[in-house]
Amino acid sequence: MTMSFSPPLVKVESLHKSYGPNIQVLKGLDIEMKPGERVVVIGPSGGGKSTLLRVIMGLEKIDSGSITFGGKPYISSAGRDKKTIIDTEVRRSIGMVFQHYTLFPHLSVLQNLILAPCKVRGEKKEIAIKRAQALLERFGLAAKANSYPAQLSGGQKQRVAIARALMLDPKLMLFDEVTSALDPELVAEVEQVILQLAAQNMPMMIVTHDMWFARNIASRVIFCAGGAVVEDGPPEQVLGSPKEERTRDFIDRVFHIRQ
Amino acid sequence: MELDFSIVARFQNALALGLWTTIQLTLICIVLGCALGFLIGLARTSRSAVVRAVSSVYVEFFRGTPVLIQLFWIFFCLPLILGVELPNFASGIIALTLYMGAITSETFRASLKSVGREQLDACIALGLPRRVQVTSVILPQAVLRAIPTLLSNCVSLFKESALVSAVGIADLMFIGQNISNNTARPVEVLTIVALIYFIIAFPLARAVSLVERRILAKLAI
Ligand SMILES: Nc1ncnc2c1ncn2[C@@H]1O[C@H](COP(=O)(O)OP(=O)(O)OP(=O)(O)O)[C@@H](O)[C@H]1O
Ligand SMILES: [Mg+2]
Repeated sequence: MTMSFSPPLVKVESLHKSYGPNIQVLKGLDIEMKPGERVVVIGPSGGGKSTLLRVIMGLEKIDSGSITFGGKPYISSAGRDKKTIIDTEVRRSIGMVFQHYTLFPHLSVLQNLILAPCKVRGEKKEIAIKRAQALLERFGLAAKANSYPAQLSGGQKQRVAIARALMLDPKLMLFDEVTSALDPELVAEVEQVILQLAAQNMPMMIVTHDMWFARNIASRVIFCAGGAVVEDGPPEQVLGSPKEERTRDFIDRVFHIRQ
Repeated sequence: MELDFSIVARFQNALALGLWTTIQLTLICIVLGCALGFLIGLARTSRSAVVRAVSSVYVEFFRGTPVLIQLFWIFFCLPLILGVELPNFASGIIALTLYMGAITSETFRASLKSVGREQLDACIALGLPRRVQVTSVILPQAVLRAIPTLLSNCVSLFKESALVSAVGIADLMFIGQNISNNTARPVEVLTIVALIYFIIAFPLARAVSLVERRILAKLAI
Protein backbone atom coordinates (compact mmCIF):
# COMPACT_ATOMS: atom_id res chain seq x y z
CA MET A 1 0.00 0.00 0.00
CA THR A 2 1.28 3.38 -0.89
CA MET A 3 0.69 6.21 1.49
CA SER A 4 -0.50 9.16 -0.51
CA PHE A 5 -0.37 12.55 1.09
CA SER A 6 -3.67 14.30 0.77
CA PRO A 7 -3.63 17.97 1.67
CA PRO A 8 -6.27 19.39 4.02
CA LEU A 9 -9.39 20.54 2.20
CA VAL A 10 -9.36 23.83 4.05
CA LYS A 11 -6.53 25.22 6.08
CA VAL A 12 -7.12 28.46 7.94
CA GLU A 13 -3.99 29.95 9.46
CA SER A 14 -3.88 32.74 12.05
CA LEU A 15 -6.86 34.45 10.53
CA HIS A 16 -7.49 37.97 11.74
CA LYS A 17 -10.58 39.87 10.74
CA SER A 18 -12.09 43.09 12.01
CA TYR A 19 -14.95 45.29 10.96
CA GLY A 20 -13.41 48.72 11.29
CA PRO A 21 -10.75 49.62 13.84
CA ASN A 22 -12.80 48.79 16.93
CA ILE A 23 -14.52 45.54 16.09
CA GLN A 24 -11.99 42.73 16.21
CA VAL A 25 -13.94 39.60 15.36
CA LEU A 26 -11.46 36.86 14.47
CA LYS A 27 -8.25 36.99 16.45
CA GLY A 28 -5.84 34.48 15.03
CA LEU A 29 -8.04 31.56 14.10
CA ASP A 30 -6.56 28.22 13.01
CA ILE A 31 -8.65 25.45 11.52
CA GLU A 32 -7.67 22.48 9.44
CA MET A 33 -10.41 20.54 7.75
CA LYS A 34 -9.71 17.19 6.11
CA PRO A 35 -11.48 16.04 2.94
CA GLY A 36 -14.81 14.40 3.71
CA GLU A 37 -15.14 16.02 7.11
CA ARG A 38 -18.32 17.64 8.31
CA VAL A 39 -17.39 20.35 10.73
CA VAL A 40 -20.02 21.91 12.96
CA VAL A 41 -19.07 25.26 14.40
CA ILE A 42 -20.77 26.27 17.63
CA GLY A 43 -20.23 29.22 19.91
CA PRO A 44 -21.76 32.23 21.61
CA SER A 45 -23.57 34.89 19.62
CA GLY A 46 -21.16 37.44 18.23
CA GLY A 47 -18.29 35.01 18.49
CA GLY A 48 -17.51 35.25 14.81
CA LYS A 49 -19.06 32.06 13.39
CA SER A 50 -20.84 33.79 10.54
CA THR A 51 -17.79 35.91 9.92
CA LEU A 52 -15.63 32.79 9.63
CA LEU A 53 -17.97 31.24 7.07
CA ARG A 54 -18.25 34.50 5.14
CA VAL A 55 -14.48 34.79 5.02
CA ILE A 56 -14.15 31.23 3.74
CA MET A 57 -16.81 32.00 1.13
CA GLY A 58 -14.68 34.92 -0.02
CA LEU A 59 -17.27 37.53 0.93
CA GLU A 60 -15.09 39.48 3.34
CA LYS A 61 -11.75 41.21 3.40
CA ILE A 62 -9.32 39.92 5.99
CA ASP A 63 -6.71 41.73 8.09
CA SER A 64 -4.08 39.02 8.02
CA GLY A 65 -3.63 35.28 7.85
CA SER A 66 -4.25 32.87 5.03
CA ILE A 67 -6.53 30.15 3.79
CA THR A 68 -5.62 27.33 1.46
CA PHE A 69 -8.11 25.11 -0.30
CA GLY A 70 -7.15 21.63 -1.40
CA GLY A 71 -3.53 22.60 -0.85
CA LYS A 72 -3.76 25.62 -3.14
CA PRO A 73 -3.47 29.21 -1.91
CA TYR A 74 -6.99 30.67 -1.75
CA ILE A 75 -7.14 33.75 0.45
CA SER A 76 -4.26 35.81 1.74
CA SER A 77 -3.45 39.36 2.58
CA ALA A 78 -0.43 40.93 1.06
CA GLY A 79 1.47 44.08 0.38
CA ARG A 80 1.92 47.14 2.48
CA ASP A 81 -1.77 48.03 2.40
CA LYS A 82 -2.72 44.47 3.38
CA LYS A 83 -4.92 43.96 0.37
CA THR A 84 -7.03 40.80 0.54
CA ILE A 85 -6.25 38.49 -2.35
CA ILE A 86 -8.94 35.98 -3.22
CA ASP A 87 -8.51 33.35 -5.91
CA THR A 88 -11.94 33.53 -7.55
CA GLU A 89 -11.32 30.29 -9.41
CA VAL A 90 -10.97 28.48 -6.09
CA ARG A 91 -13.94 30.36 -4.69
CA ARG A 92 -16.15 28.78 -7.35
CA SER A 93 -15.68 25.38 -5.75
CA ILE A 94 -17.33 26.54 -2.54
CA GLY A 95 -21.08 26.91 -2.07
CA MET A 96 -22.94 28.66 0.71
CA VAL A 97 -26.45 28.80 2.10
CA PHE A 98 -27.35 31.69 4.37
CA GLN A 99 -29.66 32.13 7.31
CA HIS A 100 -31.86 34.56 5.46
CA TYR A 101 -33.28 33.60 2.14
CA THR A 102 -31.13 34.83 -0.66
CA LEU A 103 -33.00 33.44 -3.64
CA PHE A 104 -33.42 35.88 -6.50
CA PRO A 105 -37.05 36.99 -6.07
CA HIS A 106 -37.56 38.02 -9.70
CA LEU A 107 -36.59 34.59 -11.02
CA SER A 108 -38.51 31.33 -10.83
CA VAL A 109 -37.09 28.40 -8.90
CA LEU A 110 -35.77 26.82 -12.08
CA GLN A 111 -34.23 30.11 -13.27
CA ASN A 112 -32.60 30.54 -9.86
CA LEU A 113 -30.98 27.15 -10.29
CA ILE A 114 -29.72 27.51 -13.84
CA LEU A 115 -28.52 31.13 -13.72
CA ALA A 116 -25.03 30.42 -12.43
CA PRO A 117 -24.35 27.23 -14.43
CA CYS A 118 -25.37 28.96 -17.66
CA LYS A 119 -23.68 32.30 -16.96
CA VAL A 120 -20.58 31.12 -15.13
CA ARG A 121 -19.76 27.82 -16.76
CA GLY A 122 -21.44 28.43 -20.08
CA GLU A 123 -23.48 25.28 -19.67
CA LYS A 124 -26.17 24.65 -22.30
CA LYS A 125 -29.55 25.73 -21.04
CA GLU A 126 -31.27 22.40 -21.80
CA ILE A 127 -28.61 20.49 -19.92
CA ALA A 128 -28.75 22.81 -16.93
CA ILE A 129 -32.55 22.50 -16.85
CA LYS A 130 -32.30 18.69 -16.89
CA ARG A 131 -29.87 18.74 -13.97
CA ALA A 132 -31.98 21.29 -12.10
CA GLN A 133 -35.12 19.20 -12.52
CA ALA A 134 -33.33 16.12 -11.26
CA LEU A 135 -32.12 18.00 -8.18
CA LEU A 136 -35.55 19.46 -7.49
CA GLU A 137 -37.04 16.00 -7.84
CA ARG A 138 -34.55 14.67 -5.31
CA PHE A 139 -35.41 17.42 -2.84
CA GLY A 140 -39.17 16.97 -3.25
CA LEU A 141 -39.54 20.24 -5.10
CA ALA A 142 -40.35 19.05 -8.62
CA ALA A 143 -43.78 20.70 -8.50
CA LYS A 144 -42.26 24.06 -7.60
CA ALA A 145 -39.93 24.48 -10.56
CA ASN A 146 -41.94 27.32 -12.03
CA SER A 147 -42.96 28.98 -8.78
CA TYR A 148 -41.41 32.20 -7.59
CA PRO A 149 -39.63 32.39 -4.23
CA ALA A 150 -42.45 34.47 -2.73
CA GLN A 151 -44.79 31.54 -3.33
CA LEU A 152 -42.69 29.11 -1.31
CA SER A 153 -42.59 28.30 2.40
CA GLY A 154 -39.42 29.08 4.31
CA GLY A 155 -38.38 25.44 4.29
CA GLN A 156 -38.90 25.16 0.55
CA LYS A 157 -36.88 28.33 -0.01
CA GLN A 158 -33.94 26.95 1.92
CA ARG A 159 -34.09 23.67 0.03
CA VAL A 160 -34.09 25.59 -3.23
CA ALA A 161 -31.12 27.60 -1.99
CA ILE A 162 -29.26 24.36 -1.27
CA ALA A 163 -30.14 22.96 -4.68
CA ARG A 164 -28.99 26.20 -6.32
CA ALA A 165 -25.59 25.91 -4.65
CA LEU A 166 -25.30 22.23 -5.59
CA MET A 167 -25.84 23.05 -9.27
CA LEU A 168 -22.23 24.22 -9.33
CA ASP A 169 -20.87 20.90 -7.97
CA PRO A 170 -19.16 22.49 -4.95
CA LYS A 171 -16.33 20.70 -3.22
CA LEU A 172 -17.31 22.31 0.07
CA MET A 173 -20.67 23.52 1.33
CA LEU A 174 -21.08 26.19 4.00
CA PHE A 175 -24.32 26.40 5.98
CA ASP A 176 -24.83 29.37 8.27
CA GLU A 177 -27.78 28.76 10.60
CA VAL A 178 -29.93 27.81 7.65
CA THR A 179 -32.84 26.73 9.82
CA SER A 180 -32.89 29.43 12.47
CA ALA A 181 -35.24 31.71 10.56
CA LEU A 182 -37.68 28.86 9.98
CA ASP A 183 -40.88 27.94 11.77
CA PRO A 184 -40.11 24.91 13.97
CA GLU A 185 -42.20 22.52 11.89
CA LEU A 186 -40.15 23.34 8.77
CA VAL A 187 -36.73 22.74 10.29
CA ALA A 188 -36.72 18.98 9.78
CA GLU A 189 -37.28 19.03 6.01
CA VAL A 190 -34.24 21.25 5.53
CA GLU A 191 -32.06 19.26 7.92
CA GLN A 192 -33.05 16.07 6.12
CA VAL A 193 -31.74 17.46 2.86
CA ILE A 194 -28.42 18.34 4.47
CA LEU A 195 -28.20 14.90 6.10
CA GLN A 196 -28.84 13.43 2.66
CA LEU A 197 -25.84 15.37 1.36
CA ALA A 198 -23.78 14.19 4.30
CA ALA A 199 -24.62 10.62 3.42
CA GLN A 200 -22.99 11.27 0.05
CA ASN A 201 -19.85 12.51 1.77
CA MET A 202 -20.20 16.14 0.82
CA PRO A 203 -17.66 18.08 2.88
CA MET A 204 -19.40 20.80 4.83
CA MET A 205 -18.98 23.39 7.49
CA ILE A 206 -22.11 24.12 9.45
CA VAL A 207 -23.05 26.74 11.99
CA THR A 208 -26.08 25.65 13.99
CA HIS A 209 -27.70 26.02 17.39
CA ASP A 210 -29.64 22.79 16.91
CA MET A 211 -28.13 20.17 19.21
CA TRP A 212 -29.88 17.21 17.60
CA PHE A 213 -28.76 18.29 14.17
CA ALA A 214 -25.21 19.00 15.32
CA ARG A 215 -24.87 15.55 16.82
CA ASN A 216 -26.29 13.84 13.76
CA ILE A 217 -24.36 15.66 11.11
CA ALA A 218 -20.98 16.41 12.63
CA SER A 219 -17.88 14.35 12.17
CA ARG A 220 -16.14 17.04 14.17
CA VAL A 221 -17.19 19.97 16.31
CA ILE A 222 -15.40 23.23 16.83
CA PHE A 223 -16.28 25.54 19.69
CA CYS A 224 -15.41 29.04 18.71
CA ALA A 225 -15.55 31.98 21.11
CA GLY A 226 -13.95 35.38 21.32
CA GLY A 227 -12.63 35.04 17.79
CA ALA A 228 -10.54 31.92 18.37
CA VAL A 229 -10.98 28.15 18.53
CA VAL A 230 -11.51 27.11 22.13
CA GLU A 231 -12.13 23.42 21.65
CA ASP A 232 -11.97 21.14 18.67
CA GLY A 233 -12.75 17.44 18.56
CA PRO A 234 -15.20 14.66 17.77
CA PRO A 235 -18.87 15.45 18.53
CA GLU A 236 -19.04 13.02 21.46
CA GLN A 237 -16.26 14.91 23.15
CA VAL A 238 -17.11 18.54 22.44
CA LEU A 239 -20.87 18.16 22.79
CA GLY A 240 -20.85 15.32 25.33
CA SER A 241 -17.95 15.81 27.69
CA PRO A 242 -16.13 18.99 26.81
CA LYS A 243 -12.65 19.46 28.20
CA GLU A 244 -12.73 23.22 28.33
CA GLU A 245 -14.62 25.08 31.01
CA ARG A 246 -15.94 27.64 28.51
CA THR A 247 -17.29 24.96 26.21
CA ARG A 248 -19.02 23.28 29.12
CA ASP A 249 -20.63 26.56 30.24
CA PHE A 250 -21.81 27.30 26.74
CA ILE A 251 -23.30 23.88 26.16
CA ASP A 252 -25.02 23.89 29.53
CA ARG A 253 -26.46 27.31 28.85
CA VAL A 254 -27.50 26.91 25.24
CA PHE A 255 -28.44 23.28 24.98
CA HIS A 256 -29.62 22.95 28.58
CA ILE A 257 -28.82 19.28 28.62
CA ARG A 258 -25.45 17.67 28.18
CA GLN A 259 -24.91 14.11 27.26
CA MET B 1 -75.70 82.27 -15.10
CA GLU B 2 -76.57 79.82 -17.80
CA LEU B 3 -74.25 77.02 -18.71
CA ASP B 4 -74.04 75.82 -22.26
CA PHE B 5 -71.68 72.92 -22.65
CA SER B 6 -72.56 72.48 -26.31
CA ILE B 7 -70.12 75.33 -26.92
CA VAL B 8 -67.32 72.98 -26.09
CA ALA B 9 -68.54 70.43 -28.61
CA ARG B 10 -68.02 72.97 -31.38
CA PHE B 11 -64.33 72.98 -30.61
CA GLN B 12 -63.88 69.26 -30.15
CA ASN B 13 -61.45 68.91 -33.03
CA ALA B 14 -59.21 71.66 -31.70
CA LEU B 15 -59.33 70.12 -28.22
CA ALA B 16 -58.53 66.67 -29.62
CA LEU B 17 -55.53 68.13 -31.41
CA GLY B 18 -54.39 69.79 -28.20
CA LEU B 19 -54.80 66.54 -26.29
CA TRP B 20 -52.79 64.74 -28.93
CA THR B 21 -49.97 67.29 -28.52
CA THR B 22 -50.09 66.85 -24.74
CA ILE B 23 -49.94 63.08 -25.07
CA GLN B 24 -47.09 63.16 -27.60
CA LEU B 25 -45.12 65.57 -25.46
CA THR B 26 -45.71 63.48 -22.34
CA LEU B 27 -44.82 60.18 -23.97
CA ILE B 28 -41.63 61.51 -25.56
CA CYS B 29 -40.53 63.05 -22.28
CA ILE B 30 -41.38 59.88 -20.36
CA VAL B 31 -39.16 57.78 -22.62
CA LEU B 32 -36.27 60.27 -22.77
CA GLY B 33 -36.67 61.29 -19.12
CA CYS B 34 -36.68 57.72 -17.81
CA ALA B 35 -33.60 56.84 -19.85
CA LEU B 36 -31.83 59.95 -18.59
CA GLY B 37 -33.05 59.32 -15.03
CA PHE B 38 -31.73 55.77 -15.14
CA LEU B 39 -28.27 56.95 -16.19
CA ILE B 40 -28.27 59.74 -13.61
CA GLY B 41 -29.45 57.28 -10.95
CA LEU B 42 -26.45 55.08 -11.78
CA ALA B 43 -24.15 58.11 -11.85
CA ARG B 44 -25.22 59.04 -8.35
CA THR B 45 -23.94 55.71 -7.06
CA SER B 46 -20.72 56.05 -9.08
CA ARG B 47 -17.32 55.48 -7.51
CA SER B 48 -16.05 58.76 -8.92
CA ALA B 49 -16.70 61.69 -6.59
CA VAL B 50 -16.82 64.09 -9.53
CA VAL B 51 -19.53 62.11 -11.32
CA ARG B 52 -21.49 61.90 -8.08
CA ALA B 53 -21.17 65.62 -7.43
CA VAL B 54 -22.18 66.70 -10.94
CA SER B 55 -25.20 64.41 -11.02
CA SER B 56 -26.28 65.51 -7.53
CA VAL B 57 -26.15 69.19 -8.47
CA TYR B 58 -28.22 68.49 -11.56
CA VAL B 59 -30.86 66.55 -9.66
CA GLU B 60 -31.10 68.96 -6.75
CA PHE B 61 -31.32 71.92 -9.11
CA PHE B 62 -34.20 70.51 -11.11
CA ARG B 63 -35.99 69.25 -8.04
CA GLY B 64 -35.51 72.50 -6.21
CA THR B 65 -36.75 75.00 -8.78
CA PRO B 66 -40.23 75.54 -10.28
CA VAL B 67 -40.81 73.71 -13.54
CA LEU B 68 -42.13 76.93 -15.02
CA ILE B 69 -38.77 78.65 -14.51
CA GLN B 70 -36.94 75.69 -16.04
CA LEU B 71 -39.24 75.90 -19.01
CA PHE B 72 -38.75 79.65 -19.43
CA TRP B 73 -35.04 79.29 -18.96
CA ILE B 74 -34.73 76.69 -21.70
CA PHE B 75 -37.09 78.66 -23.90
CA PHE B 76 -35.52 82.12 -23.51
CA CYS B 77 -31.98 81.63 -22.24
CA LEU B 78 -30.76 78.48 -23.97
CA PRO B 79 -31.14 79.97 -27.49
CA LEU B 80 -29.12 82.99 -26.36
CA ILE B 81 -26.36 80.82 -24.97
CA LEU B 82 -26.30 78.33 -27.84
CA GLY B 83 -26.97 80.97 -30.47
CA VAL B 84 -29.63 78.84 -32.15
CA GLU B 85 -33.38 79.26 -32.33
CA LEU B 86 -35.22 76.27 -30.89
CA PRO B 87 -38.75 75.45 -32.00
CA ASN B 88 -41.26 75.75 -29.14
CA PHE B 89 -41.99 72.06 -29.09
CA ALA B 90 -38.29 71.19 -28.88
CA SER B 91 -37.66 73.45 -25.91
CA GLY B 92 -40.73 72.01 -24.21
CA ILE B 93 -39.32 68.52 -24.71
CA ILE B 94 -35.87 69.49 -23.47
CA ALA B 95 -37.23 71.17 -20.36
CA LEU B 96 -39.66 68.43 -19.39
CA THR B 97 -37.11 65.71 -20.17
CA LEU B 98 -34.54 67.33 -17.91
CA TYR B 99 -37.16 67.69 -15.21
CA MET B 100 -38.37 64.09 -15.63
CA GLY B 101 -34.77 62.87 -15.63
CA ALA B 102 -34.11 64.50 -12.28
CA ILE B 103 -37.29 63.14 -10.72
CA THR B 104 -36.93 59.57 -12.02
CA SER B 105 -33.24 59.41 -11.15
CA GLU B 106 -34.29 59.59 -7.51
CA THR B 107 -36.74 56.77 -8.13
CA PHE B 108 -34.05 54.61 -9.73
CA ARG B 109 -31.52 55.46 -7.05
CA ALA B 110 -33.89 54.41 -4.28
CA SER B 111 -34.75 51.16 -6.05
CA LEU B 112 -31.09 50.34 -6.71
CA LYS B 113 -30.44 50.84 -3.01
CA SER B 114 -33.33 48.59 -2.09
CA VAL B 115 -31.60 45.58 -3.65
CA GLY B 116 -30.04 44.30 -0.47
CA ARG B 117 -26.53 43.30 0.44
CA GLU B 118 -27.77 39.67 0.74
CA GLN B 119 -28.49 39.54 -2.97
CA LEU B 120 -24.92 40.55 -3.70
CA ASP B 121 -23.60 37.95 -1.26
CA ALA B 122 -25.64 35.32 -3.07
CA CYS B 123 -24.22 36.47 -6.40
CA ILE B 124 -20.66 36.16 -5.14
CA ALA B 125 -21.31 32.80 -3.52
CA LEU B 126 -22.57 31.60 -6.92
CA GLY B 127 -19.47 32.97 -8.60
CA LEU B 128 -21.43 35.31 -10.87
CA PRO B 129 -19.13 37.78 -12.64
CA ARG B 130 -19.78 41.45 -11.99
CA ARG B 131 -21.47 41.95 -15.36
CA VAL B 132 -23.95 39.14 -14.70
CA GLN B 133 -24.59 40.40 -11.16
CA VAL B 134 -25.63 43.74 -12.60
CA THR B 135 -27.58 42.61 -15.67
CA SER B 136 -29.28 39.50 -14.30
CA VAL B 137 -29.82 40.29 -10.63
CA ILE B 138 -29.49 43.92 -9.62
CA LEU B 139 -30.96 45.80 -12.57
CA PRO B 140 -34.04 43.62 -13.09
CA GLN B 141 -34.95 43.88 -9.41
CA ALA B 142 -34.24 47.60 -9.29
CA VAL B 143 -36.35 48.27 -12.38
CA LEU B 144 -39.22 46.12 -11.08
CA ARG B 145 -39.16 47.96 -7.78
CA ALA B 146 -39.02 51.30 -9.56
CA ILE B 147 -42.10 50.69 -11.71
CA PRO B 148 -44.83 51.87 -9.29
CA THR B 149 -43.03 55.13 -8.47
CA LEU B 150 -42.15 55.62 -12.13
CA LEU B 151 -45.82 55.35 -13.01
CA SER B 152 -46.64 58.06 -10.46
CA ASN B 153 -43.83 60.14 -11.93
CA CYS B 154 -45.45 59.73 -15.36
CA VAL B 155 -48.86 60.80 -14.09
CA SER B 156 -47.27 63.89 -12.53
CA LEU B 157 -45.49 64.68 -15.75
CA PHE B 158 -48.73 64.39 -17.70
CA LYS B 159 -50.27 67.02 -15.42
CA GLU B 160 -47.16 69.24 -15.23
CA SER B 161 -47.00 69.25 -19.02
CA ALA B 162 -49.85 71.81 -19.00
CA LEU B 163 -47.17 74.36 -18.11
CA VAL B 164 -45.81 74.28 -21.67
CA SER B 165 -48.83 76.31 -22.73
CA ALA B 166 -47.00 79.23 -21.12
CA VAL B 167 -44.38 79.16 -23.86
CA GLY B 168 -46.94 78.89 -26.62
CA ILE B 169 -47.01 75.16 -27.30
CA ALA B 170 -50.50 74.29 -28.52
CA ASP B 171 -51.24 71.56 -26.00
CA LEU B 172 -54.59 70.77 -24.42
CA MET B 173 -54.20 73.52 -21.83
CA PHE B 174 -53.18 76.13 -24.41
CA ILE B 175 -56.10 75.33 -26.71
CA GLY B 176 -58.53 75.24 -23.81
CA GLN B 177 -57.37 78.61 -22.60
CA ASN B 178 -57.69 80.12 -26.08
CA ILE B 179 -61.20 78.78 -26.59
CA SER B 180 -62.14 79.99 -23.14
CA ASN B 181 -60.84 83.49 -23.89
CA ASN B 182 -62.38 83.73 -27.32
CA THR B 183 -65.81 82.44 -26.33
CA ALA B 184 -65.86 84.08 -22.92
CA ARG B 185 -67.13 80.77 -21.58
CA PRO B 186 -64.42 79.87 -19.06
CA VAL B 187 -66.64 77.77 -16.82
CA GLU B 188 -67.74 75.33 -19.49
CA VAL B 189 -64.46 75.15 -21.36
CA LEU B 190 -62.05 74.98 -18.44
CA THR B 191 -64.24 72.47 -16.62
CA ILE B 192 -64.23 70.18 -19.61
CA VAL B 193 -60.47 70.56 -20.05
CA ALA B 194 -59.95 69.72 -16.39
CA LEU B 195 -62.20 66.70 -16.80
CA ILE B 196 -60.17 65.47 -19.78
CA TYR B 197 -56.96 65.66 -17.73
CA PHE B 198 -58.71 63.91 -14.87
CA ILE B 199 -60.20 61.12 -16.97
CA ILE B 200 -56.73 60.19 -18.15
CA ALA B 201 -54.76 60.77 -14.96
CA PHE B 202 -57.16 59.21 -12.47
CA PRO B 203 -57.26 55.62 -13.82
CA LEU B 204 -53.48 55.76 -14.25
CA ALA B 205 -53.04 56.79 -10.63
CA ARG B 206 -55.31 53.94 -9.57
CA ALA B 207 -53.38 51.51 -11.71
CA VAL B 208 -50.23 52.51 -9.87
CA SER B 209 -51.42 51.12 -6.55
CA LEU B 210 -52.58 47.94 -8.25
CA VAL B 211 -49.24 47.41 -9.96
CA GLU B 212 -47.45 48.28 -6.75
CA ARG B 213 -49.27 45.62 -4.76
CA ARG B 214 -48.54 43.01 -7.41
CA ILE B 215 -44.85 43.81 -7.65
CA LEU B 216 -44.37 43.96 -3.92
CA ALA B 217 -46.13 40.62 -3.54
CA LYS B 218 -43.81 39.14 -6.13
CA LEU B 219 -40.60 40.59 -4.73
CA ALA B 220 -41.34 39.83 -1.10
CA ILE B 221 -38.72 37.14 -0.78
N1 LIG C 1 -20.77 43.94 8.59
C1 LIG C 1 -20.43 44.13 9.88
N2 LIG C 1 -20.05 45.34 10.31
C2 LIG C 1 -19.70 45.54 11.60
N3 LIG C 1 -19.73 44.59 12.53
C3 LIG C 1 -20.10 43.37 12.18
C4 LIG C 1 -20.50 43.08 10.84
N4 LIG C 1 -20.83 41.77 10.77
C5 LIG C 1 -20.66 41.28 12.01
N5 LIG C 1 -20.23 42.23 12.86
C6 LIG C 1 -19.90 42.05 14.28
O1 LIG C 1 -18.94 41.06 14.38
C7 LIG C 1 -19.18 40.23 15.50
C8 LIG C 1 -19.24 38.79 15.07
O2 LIG C 1 -20.37 38.60 14.27
P1 LIG C 1 -20.80 37.21 13.65
O3 LIG C 1 -22.04 37.46 12.88
O4 LIG C 1 -19.67 36.61 12.93
O5 LIG C 1 -21.11 36.35 14.94
P2 LIG C 1 -21.84 34.95 15.06
O6 LIG C 1 -20.94 34.08 15.85
O7 LIG C 1 -22.28 34.47 13.74
O8 LIG C 1 -23.11 35.31 15.95
P3 LIG C 1 -24.59 34.73 15.87
O9 LIG C 1 -24.60 33.43 16.62
O10 LIG C 1 -25.40 35.78 16.59
O11 LIG C 1 -24.95 34.57 14.46
C9 LIG C 1 -20.45 40.73 16.15
O12 LIG C 1 -20.10 41.52 17.26
C10 LIG C 1 -21.09 41.56 15.08
O13 LIG C 1 -21.79 42.62 15.65
MG1 LIG D 1 -24.15 34.21 12.76
